[in-house]
Amino acid sequence: MQTLLSLSNDLASAVERAARVVVAVHARPRLPSTGVHWRPGIVVTAEHTVRVEEEIRVVWPDGRATPARLAARDPATDLAVLRIDDTDRPVAEIGDSAELKIGNLVLAVGYGPRASWGVVSAVGDATGHGGDVNRLLRVDLVLYPGFSGGPLVDASGKVAGLVTSGLSRQLDLAVPASTVARIVDEVLTTGRVSRGYVGLGLQPVVLPEALKRVAPGSASRGVIVVSIEGDGPAARAGLMLGDVLLALEGTPLRVPGDVQAALAGRRVGSAVTVSLIRAGAPLDVAVTLGERPSRKR
Amino acid sequence: MPATLTSDLSAVVGRLRENTVELRSMGRAGGSGVIWRSDGLIVTSAHVVGGARLTHHGLQVVLPDTRRLPATVLEWDRNLDLALLRVETHGLPAAQVGDSNRLRPGELVLAVGHPFGLSAAVVTGVVHAAPARGAAGRRWVQADLRLAPGNSGGPLADAAGRVVGINAMIAGRLALAVPSQVVETFVTRSAPHD
Repeated sequence: MQTLLSLSNDLASAVERAARVVVAVHARPRLPSTGVHWRPGIVVTAEHTVRVEEEIRVVWPDGRATPARLAARDPATDLAVLRIDDTDRPVAEIGDSAELKIGNLVLAVGYGPRASWGVVSAVGDATGHGGDVNRLLRVDLVLYPGFSGGPLVDASGKVAGLVTSGLSRQLDLAVPASTVARIVDEVLTTGRVSRGYVGLGLQPVVLPEALKRVAPGSASRGVIVVSIEGDGPAARAGLMLGDVLLALEGTPLRVPGDVQAALAGRRVGSAVTVSLIRAGAPLDVAVTLGERPSRKR
Repeated sequence: MPATLTSDLSAVVGRLRENTVELRSMGRAGGSGVIWRSDGLIVTSAHVVGGARLTHHGLQVVLPDTRRLPATVLEWDRNLDLALLRVETHGLPAAQVGDSNRLRPGELVLAVGHPFGLSAAVVTGVVHAAPARGAAGRRWVQADLRLAPGNSGGPLADAAGRVVGINAMIAGRLALAVPSQVVETFVTRSAPHD
């Protein structure tokens, strides 16, 4: 009896603990999303739920509202960083997201508080690239309406990540706390999130037999260049319309989103090798990453 | 899972199944019910006995010990979605009733029922939110729990096996239950203790 009850109490206490730092974020019409008071004066939420840039409001557990300013957005991790003046409130107790393993019990907490439970079902990003930088967590739990941007909570009540439905159409994922911390640090020191950028419009393609034969690693899919940003990094590197890109620094590209994923964490000014097929023949091109044009606040 | 957790769960589920009945209407499996008093009072959802209420026959309760008994409808409340039935027998294992007002988001809950006519199946989940008023002023216990048709009328219980709600419906991916405090009031007014 004791053990089931004590687990139940632990879970309820974990929700209570996390709920102290969970806010409602009003940055779009109708349904507010959830956010986490990450550091004094900094609230993080899901970028896809921030649809306005003015008159954003954040509501605390006690119902008090405070205005918020958008400091930075990062669509690649679906994170948005908001600044608030209310610094005298509890901040999140951050857990070690690197310690989370498949099968660990986790909770998602929405403003209310509302809760759902489940387990970590996979570690490593959804497109299978893995690696430290893009170590997204797949979670087997229900993200109820408005939950995106809220905390992924471990059984002790610490915040191990931020949940979102916005990174993948099929999967509910969590951005680990280590990634959130890195993004917040970058925003606090440089005022923005710097993202390597190539300047290309892409569409997924299935390779015909003839191209599959020349494709390195016998790739069967790639992304074809359908537009190039004039004077962007790809243009300056000599990429052309019709080039079929197969890999970036060895990471296979199957859908346009794979390019952003492969660029995650790469510094502006660094060079990346793009493996492609042009006019039926394989080619490697070095592209020097530029900075994605973004608004500074 | 540690051995103690699994055996705790088995023990709680075992007791809860003892308090859960199957309802059959016109020979067909209809849902579940909870033994509310040992002298033969059974609580279920109004929508589970809807048709039988009008005909007043063909309604049967299948006890955990497999005995089938005819049941009569004492009270039927569509607004609360509750029905009170009587079976002519004594000494039934009545459910322990918990305080639905004290449910905390995240705490474990279990539902026992007869989904799709299968015998007493259990699903586990957590409380989604503290009980609050929903549409039309009705109070619901909301649980992050996967209910199936056939769970209606059955118990929603806490980790100690105390019934905190009667499973009523699924709303999106949430399970909604009539709070046990509402059920107590309903039973007391419909069948005062002798």
